[in-house]
Parts: sequence; structure tokens; C-alpha cells
Amino acid sequence: MSKIVALIKKELHGYFSSPIAYIILILMLSLFNVFFFLVIDQNREVSLRDVFQLMEFMLVFFIPLLTMRLFSEEKANGTMEFLQTAPLTQSMIVLGKYFSMLIFYSLLIALTLTYYFIVEYFGDPDPLGMLFGYLGIWLEGAFFIAVGLLASSWTSNQIIAAMVSYLILFLLYFATSFTQYLSGSAEQFLLQMSTHTHLENFAIGIITPSDVVYYLSGIVCCLALTRLSIDNRLWH
Amino acid sequence: MLIVDQVSKNFAAYQALEDVSFEMRSGDIVGLLGKNGAGKTTLMRILTSYISASSGKVIIDGDDMSKHSVNIRRKIGYLPEKPPLYADMTVQYYLKFAAEIKDVPKQKRRSQLTKVIQECDLEQVKHKTIGTLSKGYKQRVGIAQAIIHEPKLLILDEPTSGLDPMQIQQVLALIKNQQDQRTVLLSTHTLTEIEQVAKRVILLKTGQIVFDKPLDELLNLSNSNQVQPLTLEQVFINHHQQPPRESQALESR
Repeated sequence: MSKIVALIKKELHGYFSSPIAYIILILMLSLFNVFFFLVIDQNREVSLRDVFQLMEFMLVFFIPLLTMRLFSEEKANGTMEFLQTAPLTQSMIVLGKYFSMLIFYSLLIALTLTYYFIVEYFGDPDPLGMLFGYLGIWLEGAFFIAVGLLASSWTSNQIIAAMVSYLILFLLYFATSFTQYLSGSAEQFLLQMSTHTHLENFAIGIITPSDVVYYLSGIVCCLALTRLSIDNRLWH
Repeated sequence: MLIVDQVSKNFAAYQALEDVSFEMRSGDIVGLLGKNGAGKTTLMRILTSYISASSGKVIIDGDDMSKHSVNIRRKIGYLPEKPPLYADMTVQYYLKFAAEIKDVPKQKRRSQLTKVIQECDLEQVKHKTIGTLSKGYKQRVGIAQAIIHEPKLLILDEPTSGLDPMQIQQVLALIKNQQDQRTVLLSTHTLTEIEQVAKRVILLKTGQIVFDKPLDELLNLSNSNQVQPLTLEQVFINHHQQPPRESQALESR
């Protein structure tokens, strides 16, 4: 556990020692704020449902920018060899990187909690419903980070890692758009694969086991594949 | 300390190593020679468990690599050809991180950090960002991370490549100082460096060991039918002008 903590600290040090993390954080927060005020002004509701759905859409674009360097940079700089010849297991390396990015992302989401207090000041929102909404957007980001981490483990080129992440996330996000061309089980499959379908329930304050399982199994699956992907002893 | 038993490595159809076998005892400093593509880096990567061998066995300090690779990595210090450094970290932060992930006990970390900083002469630059250091200092930081957990076996892949003569001497002195504390396997293209630090030489040619001899014996043997004394460089060139099997036959004579 202490080695995973050391890896997390090292990763967070890496993010915050360059301006990129600050720029992305400020940019994302600024966009979230703009959309929050636009949505609240237009809907005049004490609900963040539409805000969460807009946040989801923006995460599709921003998370690959955060995750693209996770493994690609280590591979390009030769530091992957340093980590993999240290007494660390592959799982420790994957979890260290994943949790560090999750902490960064949680910080971003925590900063948007002010929306709840603003809405509460002007109306009487359902606190549990909003909490579920936040849980949904947090799970969605956690899943997107796992996808980005996996894509980053495939290449030493950060641009390629970002492009592959975009491809996977676009397919997951826009899967519902293709349902009009399909029917039956194929349509159902696409609906179940879409992140949009699963966030919808959280956004209106409903938690269903299938939505939670969707995100958690997606995260576990991506982390397990990343662990296999970085294991040189399997591939070389 | 180290037993390499009939290790072979294939990358698809290309055979990088073929039945490589040798042993090293505690305190040995062995020079690994060979042209580019001879299999030196592949062998070192197998010994550090970065990649696995296609066949054969590696035993380090009694542990079988195929069964206890994480435990073995605690006993190994490795400096790859390109020092694995994080340019945005300070020297001290990087070495502290290396100590943490290499299982240096918490109560020993501070003293160990001070020791390697002193040993590798990094006191002046310990608060500097690694990205701003000269190549010589970067190499020393690379060696410092390799020895911070006091490994029993130190593996150095071309530790002097790209350094100026002054920096080379400093790095070689540092390697020589390791002799009393650990076993060292180093590869280099510069044969005079091997002569300065190693007592034994292993020559790899197209993935096979063509000789494995103490340095003195090797120069004497090669010298026996020559008028002029041979240098290691001449021995190296002579061996590379013969196919591997022929050169092994010559060696056994």
C-alpha cells in the first residue's frame, strides 16, 4: 500500500509541477461554470440534471487530455523501465496511476459542489437526488479515466493515446445515436453500452444496481486490461 | 550470486540470445562486451526481469527469476542505457521516491539518501531539477537510484555513453568503489573502461557467448603467439572477424 501511495504522490507531483494541470483545471471549471449559469438561467429549476449531462459531454473531450500522458510519457522517457525493474507489481503501477488521476478528477468535481449551495440558496433542492447526480458524474469520470489509462498503455505517443481514448469514448457516448438504425437485442445492446443511458438515471436522482455495475465493471475491466498491456514479460 | 543457465531469447523469428550460460560470484566486476545488436541489452533486461527469457533459467542470490521476480528486483540495481529520470523532479525528491518504491525501510531512508548523495557526489545539485543537470550529473543520479536500496547485484548498461573524458573517469571511479559492496555487471563499447574496472570479460557475439575469461588470462592467451602485447580492443576485433563457433573453438584451444 505504501508503494501505491508513493506512486500516487509522484504522479500528483508531476501534474502540479507543470502548468498543464492548472490550465485544464481552470478551463474545465470555467466551462462548467458558464454552462451552470446558462442552464439555471434557462430552466429556472432547482435541479442540476441538465448540468450533469453537459458535464458528461465535456468530460468526453477533457479526460483524454488528462490521461494521455499517464503511460505514454513514461514509455517515451524510458522511465517505464525504472518502474518495471523496481520491486513493484504491475497492479501497483496501474493503481498508483489510476488513483492519482482519480484524486485530481475528484478535486475538480469537489470544486463544482458550490453549484449545490448556489441552487439551495435560491430554492429547495432534493439533497439526496443531487448527491446521486454527483455520484453518477464521479463514476462516469472514473470510468473515462480507466479508458484513457488503457489507451495510454498501448503507445509511447501521447497524441495517439488521446486519439484512441477519443475514439472509444465517442463510441460509448454516442452509442445511443445509432439505435435508430437497429432494433431488438442489437438496439438494447447499444443502449446498455452507452454511458449516456446510465448517467441519465443518476442525473435525475435515481440509483439502480445495473448503472452502478456498468461503471464499476467498466473500470475493473479497463484496469485489468491495462495491467496485462504493460506486462512486458507477457508480450516480449 | 548470479547463475545464468542456457538462457535463450527469441523476438518472433529473430534469436537475440542463444543458450547463454555463465555465473558470477559476490564481489565480481564483470564486463559484458559485444557489438551493437549482440544481445547485451536483451541479456541485461532479462536479468532485471524487465522481459522474460524464452527458455533457460536465471537464479539470483538463490531465487529463481521465473518464480520470485519481485523479490529478485529488491536485490538488483539497474541503470539502463538511457538513465530513467523524471526531468521535473529535484534530485533529492527523485532519490526519495526511488527509496520508497525500492523498499528501503522508512527509518533508514534519510541516512541512505545522504549516503548515496555523498557517494555519487550529488550534494551540490541535490535541490536542482533533474532536467537542468549536465549529462554527467544525470548519469550519477541514475547510478544513485540504482544503489539506493543497497542491491547485491548492480547491472549497468553502458554507464559512460555520451560522457566527456572527465565525467567517464568519475563514473568509473564510482563503479570501482562498488566492488567491496556488491557484484557488478556492466556493458560498454569502450574497452579501455573495461580494462580499468573489470576483472573478467564476457564477449557476446550474435547472441552467443564467445568467450568468458578473466581479463589477465584473456590478454595473455591472445598474446601467446604475438610479438607485440595485445590490447582488449585487438582481442575484441579479432573475435569479431571470426564466426561464433570458430571463435569458441579458438578459445578452447
